Amino acid sequence: MARSVIYWIFAICLLMGGLLIAISLAETVPNAAGIAHPRFPGMQVGGDGAARLQFIGGYAFLFQSLLLVLIVALTILGVSQRYRSVEFMAYMATSLAFMLVVWWQMYSGHQHFLLTGETDYFMGFPVATAWQVYGTWLGAIPLILVYSLGFRKFIYTAEDEAAFQALLAEHKQSEH
Amino acid sequence: MEAFRQEIIVGAVVAYMLFCVLTGLWAMKRTHSSSDFFIAGRGLGPIVVALALFSSTLSGFGFVGGPGLVYSIGVSSFWMVVISSTGYAIGFFLVAKRIRMIAELRDCLSLPDIVAARYGSEAVRFLIAITIVLGVMGYLATQILAMAVVMQAILSGTETFANIGLVTCVVISSAVLIFYCVTGGIIASVYTDVVQGAIMMVAGTLILLTAMSVFEGGMQEATSIILADDSEAIMPFGAAGVMASLGWFFVFGLGLAGQPHLITKMMMNKNMSDSRSILPMSLFGYVMAALLWISIGVVMRAAVIDGAIEPLSLPDDAASVFLSVFANPLLAGVVFAGLFAAIMSTSDAFLNIGTAAIIHDIPKAIWGRSVNNELLWARIVTVLLAIVAASFALYSHFRDATLVALLGAFGWGTFAASIFPVVAVGLNWRGATVAGAVTAISAALAINFIVQLAGIALPYGISGPLVAFVTSMILFIGVSLVTRKPDLPEDMERLLEI
Repeated sequence: MARSVIYWIFAICLLMGGLLIAISLAETVPNAAGIAHPRFPGMQVGGDGAARLQFIGGYAFLFQSLLLVLIVALTILGVSQRYRSVEFMAYMATSLAFMLVVWWQMYSGHQHFLLTGETDYFMGFPVATAWQVYGTWLGAIPLILVYSLGFRKFIYTAEDEAAFQALLAEHKQSEH
Repeated sequence: MEAFRQEIIVGAVVAYMLFCVLTGLWAMKRTHSSSDFFIAGRGLGPIVVALALFSSTLSGFGFVGGPGLVYSIGVSSFWMVVISSTGYAIGFFLVAKRIRMIAELRDCLSLPDIVAARYGSEAVRFLIAITIVLGVMGYLATQILAMAVVMQAILSGTETFANIGLVTCVVISSAVLIFYCVTGGIIASVYTDVVQGAIMMVAGTLILLTAMSVFEGGMQEATSIILADDSEAIMPFGAAGVMASLGWFFVFGLGLAGQPHLITKMMMNKNMSDSRSILPMSLFGYVMAALLWISIGVVMRAAVIDGAIEPLSLPDDAASVFLSVFANPLLAGVVFAGLFAAIMSTSDAFLNIGTAAIIHDIPKAIWGRSVNNELLWARIVTVLLAIVAASFALYSHFRDATLVALLGAFGWGTFAASIFPVVAVGLNWRGATVAGAVTAISAALAINFIVQLAGIALPYGISGPLVAFVTSMILFIGVSLVTRKPDLPEDMERLLEI
């Protein structure tokens, strides 16, 4: 993947486009995108959650999973090819695994609620929503750590700085 | 203290606006050239850039439309917020280093300057500049409208200004905005952003604490009330459903790296390596300030369902009603100042990039050179742009009162789909071609506008910006792969290797 990342990105985008088409063509459910609240104007309700996911739940799960892979692939694209070492790719794999776990916990937690009608709470929110609120926010922290702590190793090394300064100097000289 | 609630709030807002005016006057002395006016001479420190970056991200859409969206559709709109960490990470990995390097190497003043240097194409410059102008009109109008709505809510609570009209509020708030943007350009903008960012962080934190005390059982009681009324509203996909939610994750997450008013700020830091500290600082600030979006929305929805307060006439009233009902007057004063800070910090960024597109980039793309006396024209066009956007805001408001949230999302989506592939991917992939860029921008603009203007509703809440974004990514890479690689100048080839 380190060498052919643009092709991976292209393939993921094609698959996501295909999934959007499949979802658009799937059997529709009335009010799948919400309906006006019966008592309070300006509010919407979601209604039957199981029915809304009946025909597209699998597609939606796959869509988000692909999006998380796309995020990591784009992150890899943002790092020069010579710095896409085994160590860097291992960090990326760990980041992806972390984000996929958060997504799986959120999705399966919602499914569990739809089946049982029961949920625990974590820090103010139903568990599935807590995974969304806290988990998604924290999901990208590994990427941020790699950027900040690995800046001089993967993003802009001393050699990069020297090469850029040399380029700037040559550019200024040629202008004069 | 309660008896002086309105006076305290008005006092806080007036003090904040005076600060903006004084900052404008101070910055005017430091603005000697168009480079100072547009990119602060690339001399800003990491804290200034970090605060400017996050305060420009969280706009009036976040402070007014955000709580309104949670009130209206529940957790669905959380997806626009929780993606911020991923969005910032992607933005820094893909854009921060390269845009800063190109800006220094080619002495670029604007994002269209950057793409023109990268692709060696005036057509790409022109399309990006047009995209910016179109997006700025919608987005700036949203900000000005939000600012006027908040001001009207504040002033109408006083005896003297009880019957103040929206048009008057648009004039007053725009006048302050225009003054400091015209006098001090981006220098005034970023330094007001610093204070604005600090106010927003304090406001977000205090609001969370207040929101948690509205119900005896804290946030859990609020979410339990919503769950009992409609479980989907407080489950991860909210009332709007799974595809609307995931669409926002995509458009708001990846799209952050395609927002010109944000990525332009990545050109302004003095040292390249400051990016490593700017990223976590920006994210921390954003998360603190965004607590307001989530906590007000959840509590207001629960309070209305529970019968604690009357139903809102408009979802966008959620923040102002929360502050008038639940917040201590001093806190309300700080938060209302924070609201203005959020709105103005984004508005000044839009005025700046819109002006640059009009006086610098479009003339360059058409005639090969910018206008004479850029600094003078920058000031004139800033005024004109604000007046046109304010007129557009009033027109939109009187046609459809719920446009604040919708227009904000439209502006973000347009930028995301049109600019992300060309800039974020294109700056990191030498195989990107002019044909790929032109095709992607054109397709993204066409899809966004057709879906929005024709009112096309796609199944399962799939949004137009999502379709436009995925399509533009596919077209950008696909067309670039099948067209001939451009011969870039040697300096650009070497820069893309770094």
